[in-house]
Amino acid sequence: MEEMHIRKGDRVHRIYVLRHTLDGGGTSSLQSEIPQQIVVEGNARADVVLLVFPGISADIKLDVHLVGEGAEANVYGAYVCGGEEKVKIAVDMYHDEPHCNSRQLFKGIAGGVSKVDFYGKIIVAQDAQRTEAYQENHNILLTDGAKVDTKPQLEIYADDVKCSHGATIGRLNEEEQFYMRSRGISLEDAKVLQMISFIAPVLEHVEDETQRDALTARIESEIRNIIRNI
Amino acid sequence: MANDILLKIEGLRASVEDKEILKGVDLVIRKGEIHAVMGPNGAGKSTLSAVLAGKPQFTVTAGTIEFLGQDLLAMSPEERAWAGIFLSFQYPVEIPGVTITNFMKTAVNAHRAGKGQDPLKAGDFLKLMREKMAFVQMKPEFAKREVNVGFSGGEKKRNEIFQMAMLDPTLAILDETDSGLDVDALRIVANGVNALHTPDKAAIVITHYQRLLDYIVPDVVHVLKDGKIVKTAGKELVAEIEEKGYDNL
Repeated sequence: MEEMHIRKGDRVHRIYVLRHTLDGGGTSSLQSEIPQQIVVEGNARADVVLLVFPGISADIKLDVHLVGEGAEANVYGAYVCGGEEKVKIAVDMYHDEPHCNSRQLFKGIAGGVSKVDFYGKIIVAQDAQRTEAYQENHNILLTDGAKVDTKPQLEIYADDVKCSHGATIGRLNEEEQFYMRSRGISLEDAKVLQMISFIAPVLEHVEDETQRDALTARIESEIRNIIRNI
Repeated sequence: MANDILLKIEGLRASVEDKEILKGVDLVIRKGEIHAVMGPNGAGKSTLSAVLAGKPQFTVTAGTIEFLGQDLLAMSPEERAWAGIFLSFQYPVEIPGVTITNFMKTAVNAHRAGKGQDPLKAGDFLKLMREKMAFVQMKPEFAKREVNVGFSGGEKKRNEIFQMAMLDPTLAILDETDSGLDVDALRIVANGVNALHTPDKAAIVITHYQRLLDYIVPDVVHVLKDGKIVKTAGKELVAEIEEKGYDNL
């Protein structure tokens, strides 16, 4: 099993990009390279960004263990599906020690007849006081044939914690589209703008600007293809 | 002269969700004119502006609209914008995640593409932004703000007039632009509209109250009631409405 172990005081920032081709440059990862377990020691920090491009089916299961005081883990993910993809993401975030922080932010777009399953859980042990843990999963459905299931969970055994979770499934807002069109932005461009700005809060955690711009441009062009094929 | 006509509406009927709101509207607007459309709540004023801009939720069931000789009803909202129509929204829409700069860059370049022009160079675009923001007294930091997100009522309306200044429309439709404005913001907005007005352009000012028309003086005033224009006169009609109310016209 792939494991990522981050020693005391260290910091690791990783981007995993699941995509078919390297058109437009950039990197790509195999699903097997994504760690199934991340262990973060005291005052260490893990930042992980997972990107699932159109055309890719994936089954990602990730356990994160915050095992020392002051450990921090941030997991960001975006998925864009326009066809028959099946994307399954499950994250268990274990807060075992006090004063640890975690954040999960997953945003995705489901079109075609794709199916997305998101499951995310925050588990705060009894001793893990002063935990701050947040989890969000937001989705946009593009078609009636696409399906999204989202199950955010909290399991809290400590009493002095700040935790929240939230999940939404929505459609592209038509009032926004009309507003943009009334300014001369085409319907296609309006949708691209809406979708790119929807997943931008995930992409902004790709720290290297050149890499971020390349990934954004590539996702934008794939999103445009999806819209044209609806 | 016929070639002075910018907009010609004939027998316009429009519905939303099978409810008829406009019940036969006729209106001719010539170059250089400012028209006020006044009327009580629910008369169809906002429907008229939405139909002119091409809002998909409204269905035109009868009538024609010609804009500069083109069949407006056959055009998409974006094509109408390229042709020179601009709607200042009564309730400007918030677009989370899209900055004003990105929004306007996309809009300006879409207009240019519509005219077969190349996109504006980044430096020229930013210069134009700064100039037009100053014109409506918007602080430069608004360029990086998300469109209308967290804006006050006055900031939203100033943002509308800023966009109007950027796009330089031939026909501006101001839908209840005075609602929610304090007197200072009202003056800024009205000065903006007046400064953008030229003999080649026209404006439709839709309002419930006289207030805005103290600053933007109309050439023609129409009263819209229950989906029809029931009275048309010069600017003296504004005072008459203020005095008698809509019920006694």
